[in-house]
Amino acid sequence: MAAIARPERDGPRRPNIASAGVQLPAVKTYEQVDEEIIATLGPTKKWFAALALAITCLLVGITTWMYQIHEGMGVAGYSPPVMWGVYIVTFVFWIGIGHAGTLISAILYLFRAGFRTTIYRAAEAMTVFAVMTAGLFPIIHIGRPWKFFWLIPYPNWRLLWPNFKSPLVWDVFAISTYLTISTTFLFIGLIPDIAVLRDREKNPTRKMILSMLSFGWRNSEAEWRHFVRAYLFLAAFSTPLVLSVHSVVSFDFAMGLAPGWHTTIFPPYFVAGAIFSGFAMVWTIIIPIRKWWKLEHYVTLNVLDASAKMVLFTSLVVGCAYLVEFFISWYGGVPAEQDYFWNRVFGQWWWAAWIMLTCNMILPLSLFSQKLRRNPVWLFILSIFINIGMWFERFVIVVPSLSHEYEPWQWTGYKPTWVDLAILIGSFGWFFMWFLLFVKQLPVFALSEIKEIVQPRLKRAHHHPPEPNDDYEPSTPGAHA
Amino acid sequence: MNIGMLGAFRELDSTCEAIEDLKRQKIGHVTCFTPTPRHEIDHAMKSPPSSVRKYTLIGAFSGAVFGYWIAIWTSEYWPLVVGGKAISTWVPFTIFSFEMMVLVGGLSTVAGLFINARIPRLTMTVGYDPRFSHGDFGVWVECAPDKLKAAEAILRQHGAVEVRGEG
Repeated sequence: MAAIARPERDGPRRPNIASAGVQLPAVKTYEQVDEEIIATLGPTKKWFAALALAITCLLVGITTWMYQIHEGMGVAGYSPPVMWGVYIVTFVFWIGIGHAGTLISAILYLFRAGFRTTIYRAAEAMTVFAVMTAGLFPIIHIGRPWKFFWLIPYPNWRLLWPNFKSPLVWDVFAISTYLTISTTFLFIGLIPDIAVLRDREKNPTRKMILSMLSFGWRNSEAEWRHFVRAYLFLAAFSTPLVLSVHSVVSFDFAMGLAPGWHTTIFPPYFVAGAIFSGFAMVWTIIIPIRKWWKLEHYVTLNVLDASAKMVLFTSLVVGCAYLVEFFISWYGGVPAEQDYFWNRVFGQWWWAAWIMLTCNMILPLSLFSQKLRRNPVWLFILSIFINIGMWFERFVIVVPSLSHEYEPWQWTGYKPTWVDLAILIGSFGWFFMWFLLFVKQLPVFALSEIKEIVQPRLKRAHHHPPEPNDDYEPSTPGAHA
Repeated sequence: MNIGMLGAFRELDSTCEAIEDLKRQKIGHVTCFTPTPRHEIDHAMKSPPSSVRKYTLIGAFSGAVFGYWIAIWTSEYWPLVVGGKAISTWVPFTIFSFEMMVLVGGLSTVAGLFINARIPRLTMTVGYDPRFSHGDFGVWVECAPDKLKAAEAILRQHGAVEVRGEG
């Protein structure tokens, strides 16, 4: 059969086209992976400064919470009927952030989307810390935090059991299951990488701790065989879990009768929003990391490009949900719903609604441009806008509905107090404190999975036919792959 | 006490050939060490499929049953009576059952991994070298003392960069 001649190209070469696959042309050997990624673990002055800032924010939050416990929930700006405010908004926000990690590590794993390989560990850690943060907010919100364990079913002297028909109880189980499985998934994936650290460690105390954490992992074929299978099943369990958790969170609202809440679109709308916001937070974290640690050849532009396509897609889904909500309120013909949506966009809450629409619907349309999808600076800026927009999305869902229900005499406003804002800042401190501690103790890039991408040394090199795209920038190492 | 020969390889194909040769000549029990899972090694080792899935299935089923049972039992034990509504309702209880299925199924999977992979392990035992988590492949063949020479010869013949007896 005659060979097909490949056409000669004149002029500048086109950039690689991002696909589900991943190529790391600048990463040549297994040893290089270990050396470059383990080198990121040494603490630096900037890291200490960032950690100090995070802990300061956390202390502000803790002190304010103590003040709130002493003074009562009145200091949090609640006034009937708006009894859900910044705490519930922030709870849903952090739960949403916690979704991208498992999406990237589990769902994209099942779909064999290779671009996840270099970002999934950071995303998984982000998930665990975000859910840890989210879990605090219902406790802060209930006013008497020391009673929160009443939601857990256990034999007790009161002979009382939680009401399993309540969405709030589903929430407790959905979130605690999600936290447990996400943490397990993160830790199981870390075991072989901790073994790498253990084998390189010189300090006897650290070596002993790493030996315990690695469970005596030896990299034997039998261990890997069971590991790969267990990882697959954990991914298979995590996939419906991701979809269920935010669906259950959306039931907190959808089961209520308030205008704007009682709608069947909420579960998919919440799940798409969660993935959207979670990916944005992944960018907020991973783009500075790849820059500061000079790991552009791991988190390549193709990886960012592929993730930008996910963000664009989920943005379109979320935008569609916003528009469908308006349509249904008009088409449904319920005056209270119509009045509520008018009030949301053109009335009392116009500023919050337009922040939401601008950040979540309009700005992400820029990602139709490949140039912008491959521009890390723009992606970072956009990620901040999306984070802000998604917090306001939850604000727009929670507050305007409660402040504009069926009875006009109940209509009111809501103004967060300094207590709300200080606890919100504290939540960011809590999240980033854990993340900063994680990135300097354990590899934030998955060593063993990245090694799977790297071509192993062979006695007799295999000659594969050229891939369709491999002549674009063939000799440009690293970031442009 | 385990006695055997350990070979360290730089190349994947050499490792696979050494494993196949050791197995063909029935020298002893072969264990392979690899920095990352490779299907070539799976093929050379001809190992049976992992039985982790059994733990997953049993755990998931038990979790689902427990989820329904606890929700139904507590609702019957402390009924919240609402006119015209059933006390035990399968739709909301399915949500709880699903969460329990994922939780117990996931944790059983981890238990299956630990039991099958024999971890946590208190000592590294013989036949391990830290280089196997870095970039090299290892082949540990556990055999009778009279077969050590044959094992060493096969490992060297296939290009092991270091061969040493252990145990």
